[in-house]
Amino acid sequence: MTAGVPTEFIAPGPQSFNTPPIIDGVDWFTKPVLVAALSVVVIVWFFWGASRKAAIVPTKLQFAGELGYNFVRNSIARDAIGSQDHMKYVPYLCGLFYFILLNNVAASIPLFQFPTFSHIGWAYVAAVISWVIYNAVGIKKHGLWGYFKHQTMPAGVPLWLMPLMIPIEFISNIVVRPVSLSLRLFANMFAGHILLLVFVLGGEYMVFESGKIFLGGVGIITFIMGIAIAGLELFVQCIQAYIFVVLTAQYIGSAIADDH
Amino acid sequence: MSEQKDPKPSPGAGDGWRVLSYLIGGVLVYGGIGFGLDRLLGTQFLVLVGIVLGAGLTILMLHFRYGSRS
Repeated sequence: MTAGVPTEFIAPGPQSFNTPPIIDGVDWFTKPVLVAALSVVVIVWFFWGASRKAAIVPTKLQFAGELGYNFVRNSIARDAIGSQDHMKYVPYLCGLFYFILLNNVAASIPLFQFPTFSHIGWAYVAAVISWVIYNAVGIKKHGLWGYFKHQTMPAGVPLWLMPLMIPIEFISNIVVRPVSLSLRLFANMFAGHILLLVFVLGGEYMVFESGKIFLGGVGIITFIMGIAIAGLELFVQCIQAYIFVVLTAQYIGSAIADDH
Repeated sequence: MSEQKDPKPSPGAGDGWRVLSYLIGGVLVYGGIGFGLDRLLGTQFLVLVGIVLGAGLTILMLHFRYGSRS
């Protein structure tokens, strides 16, 4: 395949996600850790700065902060949980949304260019925290047995079908939900990043290193495609943060709902 | 169709994903049971029967749960 080509193209793969430690000898301090830590600093700075001198006539920062907070409160928490109970969960949902959003968008910021959640461990932890929260609030609301019944008896199903439906409801509510939450976020970030790597590295290789005029032309097209993919990724990054938090809110809402 | 005793959960952005998780759940449970029985009995077809049964049951459940909301 690469006969007559000066250097061989090494396709990006899962090994591309093994970022080296930033400081030698401190193995755990890699790029995702740095990005996650910086994102926390930025979020705290932003919301703290926005709310520190709250005034009737808001400053620009306060206005931006209110906009960001209101979006999560009104369009995510209130819609999914209901106007009665949603306020209690807004801090978590707001923090979760901006944490995931910043870590995703970091994949498109020069110098960082790495989506934290393309390492599945991060996605697992975020999903497990959400899972613990919605189960805990459900148990608190309905009691252990009541919540169990609530999560295993699907509404509107005739009684004779119940025995067949209970395992489905249980597995889909207790097992599939957290797994799909984390896998969706992880897979989107992983696939998007690797797609970008393929297009950009492949394009770069074809233009500069393949030494063939024809491949150079294809490489330019590949590069342009890579730019388009980068735009698509920005969209996907925001959507994935939104979906993760909307679903968390929905699960909290369904855990405390009185539909039985 | 059936009597609506329970108030339906309000439709929202996440409903589609919940439906998907039901479908995965149904296939997982009954496909898994079929797989287990196949292993136990030395047969090979029960995993398929289980997957189809699980998908069918899930669609039935979705029909009862969301079907007549219109």
